[in-house]
Amino acid sequence: MNVDEWLRAFAAELHRRRVATEDVRHVVAEAATHLRDGGGDPWTVFGAPDRYAAAIADSVGTRPAPRPGPVRLQAEGITKRYGRRTVLRDAGLTVRAGQIAAVVGANGCGKSTFLRICAGLESPDAGQVSVSGRLGYCPQQGGTVDFLLPDEHFVLVGAGRGMGRASARRAGRAAARQLGWESDEPVLTRRLSGGTRQKLNLTLSTLSEPDVLLLDEPYQGFDRGTYVNFWDQLLRLRDEGRAIVVVTHLLNQLDRVDVVLDLTSARPGGRP
Amino acid sequence: MRGVLDLCVLGLLRDRESYGYELAQSLDAAGIGPIQGGTLYPALLRLQRAGLITAQWREGTGGPARKYYRITDTGRAALHRGGHDWVTFVTPVTAIMTGGVDG
Repeated sequence: MNVDEWLRAFAAELHRRRVATEDVRHVVAEAATHLRDGGGDPWTVFGAPDRYAAAIADSVGTRPAPRPGPVRLQAEGITKRYGRRTVLRDAGLTVRAGQIAAVVGANGCGKSTFLRICAGLESPDAGQVSVSGRLGYCPQQGGTVDFLLPDEHFVLVGAGRGMGRASARRAGRAAARQLGWESDEPVLTRRLSGGTRQKLNLTLSTLSEPDVLLLDEPYQGFDRGTYVNFWDQLLRLRDEGRAIVVVTHLLNQLDRVDVVLDLTSARPGGRP
Repeated sequence: MRGVLDLCVLGLLRDRESYGYELAQSLDAAGIGPIQGGTLYPALLRLQRAGLITAQWREGTGGPARKYYRITDTGRAALHRGGHDWVTFVTPVTAIMTGGVDG
């Protein structure tokens, strides 16, 4: 485990212990500075990541368990059939302001369909969805326009909210930077790598400052560092009081979310 | 030992602000021995939380950004009180121990 890996493991442990996101950033940066100055082995200087994280959590205090805010998204009894195949049967999810919900399950179990129904892009055969506040949706793919620059995307989405060009560009670049992406280079979107295009996609969905943010596996093509930034940003958005639903097939992040909807168990059998 | 380290840190910060790595070096140079980051930073966070020191991220002169710690008035009062208690405790103990060392 090299220094970067140690720092990443340390940051993850701090998050797991619900140390405030702002504190995590400071403590990790300070440890990195110390290691750069002293050049020591993190295992000698700080010890094991989990034990040092426990000591820090002890000293700095942890966030109180989140006060549940008002319900932002409520999906009840969602059933969806394609022909004779039942994709979703009686699936439900309630997410409050300041919560992250994970929708999990094997491939093809209806995770994306459930999210599209929550977004109002598809109608369920039974059940209903109510959303309070502004909705943001980040699809798995698409959502970006090949022949526009990143900046032009920001201006376009900003215009939808009555933002001026300059402030929309500024807000977009700042949001992109949270994902470790400097987006001011004038490169056509179709020339961006898959991972960078996903960063643009994700940036656009947060740009409108939605109250409910629906994310359909938005991290495909992200490298490890970006993936960590992505989760940091989700936790920050949660701390700001947004309700977030993230579709994922990766289970190692589940200890950082507040609500889990497992669609594998919600759908016994594939046929009606 | 925890309380003693806290007092030593306050003592080092009495006259000037400093950052973690520099404090570790100062403690070592003063003969207290190498204090690892794993011990030092939790102490600094505790002191900060108790309002005895404040911290601020700043660019050093030509160096990278560092978190600089500075003692507060409450910190000075705690140092004064704690230092007094320490001397009151350690003077008679030293007197007794010295007899053992001399004999």
